[in-house]
Amino acid sequence: MTPGGKSLKLARRLKGATKYAILDAVSPIVAVLFAMAVASIALVIIGKNPFQVYATMVSFSFGRADSVASIFFKATPLIFSGLAVAVGFRVGLFNIGVEGQYLMGAFLASWAGFAIKGLPGYVHLPLVILAGALGGALWAFVPIWLKVKRGVHEVITTIMLNHTAFLLLHYLIFDVFMDKSQVVVGGAGSPRVRMPPIELSARVPNLHDALAVFGINLPAHAAVNWLLIGGIALAVGVWYLLWRTPFGLELRTVGHNPRAAETAGIRPQVVYFKAFLLSGAVAGLVGLSDLLGYFGYLDIDFPRGYGFAGIAVALVGRNSPFGIILAALLFGFLSRGGLGIQVLERVPMETYVILQGLIILSIVVASEVVRRYVRAQQKKEEAAAHAEP
Amino acid sequence: MYKVNRFVILLMVAVLVVGAFGLTGCKKKAAEDKLKIGLVFDIGGLGDKSFNDSAYEGLVRAAAEFDIETIYLEPNDTGSDREELLRSLAEEGYAYIVANGFLFTDAVISAAADFPGVKFGLTDGYVPDLTKESNIICLGFAEHEGSFLVGAAAALKSKTGKIGFVGGMNIPLIQKFEAGYRAGAAFINPNITVIVDYIGTTGEAFKNPTAGRELALAQIGKGCDVIYHASGLSGVGVIAACAEKQKWVIGVDSDQYLTAKPEEQPYVLTSMLKRVDVAVYETIKQVVEGKFEGGYTSFNLAVDGVGYSKSNAEAIADIAERLDEIKGQIAAGTIAVPSNYEELNDYLASLGG
Repeated sequence: MTPGGKSLKLARRLKGATKYAILDAVSPIVAVLFAMAVASIALVIIGKNPFQVYATMVSFSFGRADSVASIFFKATPLIFSGLAVAVGFRVGLFNIGVEGQYLMGAFLASWAGFAIKGLPGYVHLPLVILAGALGGALWAFVPIWLKVKRGVHEVITTIMLNHTAFLLLHYLIFDVFMDKSQVVVGGAGSPRVRMPPIELSARVPNLHDALAVFGINLPAHAAVNWLLIGGIALAVGVWYLLWRTPFGLELRTVGHNPRAAETAGIRPQVVYFKAFLLSGAVAGLVGLSDLLGYFGYLDIDFPRGYGFAGIAVALVGRNSPFGIILAALLFGFLSRGGLGIQVLERVPMETYVILQGLIILSIVVASEVVRRYVRAQQKKEEAAAHAEP
Repeated sequence: MYKVNRFVILLMVAVLVVGAFGLTGCKKKAAEDKLKIGLVFDIGGLGDKSFNDSAYEGLVRAAAEFDIETIYLEPNDTGSDREELLRSLAEEGYAYIVANGFLFTDAVISAAADFPGVKFGLTDGYVPDLTKESNIICLGFAEHEGSFLVGAAAALKSKTGKIGFVGGMNIPLIQKFEAGYRAGAAFINPNITVIVDYIGTTGEAFKNPTAGRELALAQIGKGCDVIYHASGLSGVGVIAACAEKQKWVIGVDSDQYLTAKPEEQPYVLTSMLKRVDVAVYETIKQVVEGKFEGGYTSFNLAVDGVGYSKSNAEAIADIAERLDEIKGQIAAGTIAVPSNYEELNDYLASLGG
C-alpha cells in the first residue's frame, strides 16, 4: 500500500464521518418538523392556526427570562433521571424503577432535611443530598440483589417496587411524619398531607446571584437552582466514569456482551451490582431540585413521573450524558412551550400532549433510522475499501 | 444518498402540510377590552363528573350572563406547573383566577403576592390571615351542613336503625362530611347506629370502586339499610352494592341520581350537593360588579352552596318537607352543625342530655 493510497482512504473515511455527523445532527430537526406537521392536523381540527401556535410556543419559551429559567428548572430532574436510566442501559439493565427510587430518595432527603437541626448549610445540604442518593440506592438494592442472586428479571421487580415506593411514601407521610403544626381555622379548607418543612440550611440556593454576576437578572419567582449545575457536573462525571475509567470499560463491555466480558476476566454479576446501585443513587437525586429548590417540603402531591420521563430522555439522548442534557432541555421546552400555547393560544392540554408525544416518538424513530443507515453505509464502504487492492 | 433524499421529501411534505393548514386556520384575536376570567382545574381536569365539571359549569353560566372573556386550563401530568399557570394568566391581564382545589394553596399564595391587582379564588383551600382587602378569597363549603341533611334523610328512611358512611381518604375534609352526617342522623333518632368506614389514607382511596363496593356490602351485612358515601369515584362501587342489595344510597358533590345507571337510579335516595358552580359563579359576579372582597367564604345551606337533591322525587317525597324544615333551622342558625369529631361529641352529648 502506497502512502498516497493510505491518505486517500483516510480522506474518504473522514468525509464519510463528516457526512454522518451532519446527518446525525439534522435528523432530530427533521423529526421535530415532521412531528409538528402531523400535530398540525390535530391543531387544525380544533380550529387553531398551526403557524401561529408554533410561533407562540417558540417566542413564549425563548423570548422571556422566566421562560428560559423555567425550561432549565424543568430539565433539572430529567437530567438526573435520564442519567440514571442511561447508566442502567449501558450495563444492559432496564431500570424502570427510577420512579420509585427517586421518591424514596426524596423521602430520606426530606427526613434528613427537617429532623436534623442546627447544622451549618455546608454540612447539612451535602448530608441531605447524600441521604437522597442513599434512598435511591437502597430502593435499587432489592431488585439488583434478586437479579444477581436469584436471576429475577429487574423489569418485574422495579415495576413492582415503584408501586410499593409510592404507597409506602403515602404511609410515611400520612401516618408517621405528618406535619401537625398546620393550622386550619373553623373547618375552612384542609391541612396539607405533608412532612414538616425542610430546614433552611438544607435548601438549595437558586441561581439568581450567580447569574447576576454575568448581568443576567432572573425574576424572583424563577426556581432554577444550583442542582442544574449539579446535574450537568454529574453528566460530565458519568461520561468520565464510562469512557475514561477501567470500571467504565468493564461496565460497557458487560453491557455489550456479558459472556464475552466474562471470558475477558470480568465478573458481570459484580459489575451489574455496582452499576445498578449507581443508577439508583443517581435516581435518588431526581426529586431534590423540586424538594430542596422549590417546595421545601415533601407532600403527597410531590411531582411524579420523572422516572418514566427519564426513560424517554435517555432514549432521545441515546444514553450519552451530553445527549441527555440536550434531551432534558428539549423536554423542558416542550413543557414550558405547552403552557404558553395553553394560556395564549387556548390550545387544550390534551392537544399539546399529543404534540409532545409525536416529537419524542419521531426523534427516537429518526435516530434509529439514521443509525441503521450509517451502519449499512459504513459496512458498504468497508467492503469497498477491502475490495481495493 | 437515496434515503437522504427521502428525508428531504418528507421535510417538504411537512412544510406543505403545515402551510396548507395554516392558511385555513387564520382567526381574529378576541376583543381585548373584555374582563378576563380564568379557571385552572386540578389534575384530572374536565370530565370528572364531579368537582372540576361543577366549577366549569359555574364558569359557563357566568360567561353566558356577563360580557366576559373566559379560559380554562389544566396542569401537566406531574402537576409541577400549577404556579406557572396562575402566573401566566395573571400576566395576561386576567382579572380573576379560580384555582380549583386545595393543592393550589401555596401556588396561589406565591402568585397573589406578586400580582396584587389580580384576584384569586381558591376552592377548598385555606390561606391564613386574609382580610377583605386581600386579593385571595378562600372558597370553602359547609359540607357538614349538607351532610347533616342527608344524615337526617338516612335516619328518616332507615327501618333497621342502622345506617352506614363510606369515606374516601381519611382526612379532616372528609371527616367533616362524617361529623355532619352522624349529627343529622342522631338529630332524628338519638339511638341510631352509624357504621363508619374509610377506604384508605391515600389519594387512591378516591378512585377505588372495588373497595367501596366491599365496604358497602359489609355494612349492609351488618344491617345497614341506608349508606352515604363521600369517596369520589369509589362511590360508584358503593352505589352498585346498594342497588344490588336493594338498599338506599346517598350520593355526594353532584347529583348522582343523574349519573347513576338506570337500574341503580331507584335506590339513589338523594345526593349531598356541593355547589362549586355556585361558588365560581357568585365570585365571578362579584368581580364583574366590582364587589369582590378577599378573605373567607363558606358556601353554606343559607346561600344554597350546599344542599340535597330531589331528582328521585318518588323516594324523597315523604321526607322532603321535614328536610326543608331542618334546612331552614340550620340556615337560621337554630341548629349548629358540628364540623369535626370534637364538636360532634359535644353535639351528641347535648342530644343525650
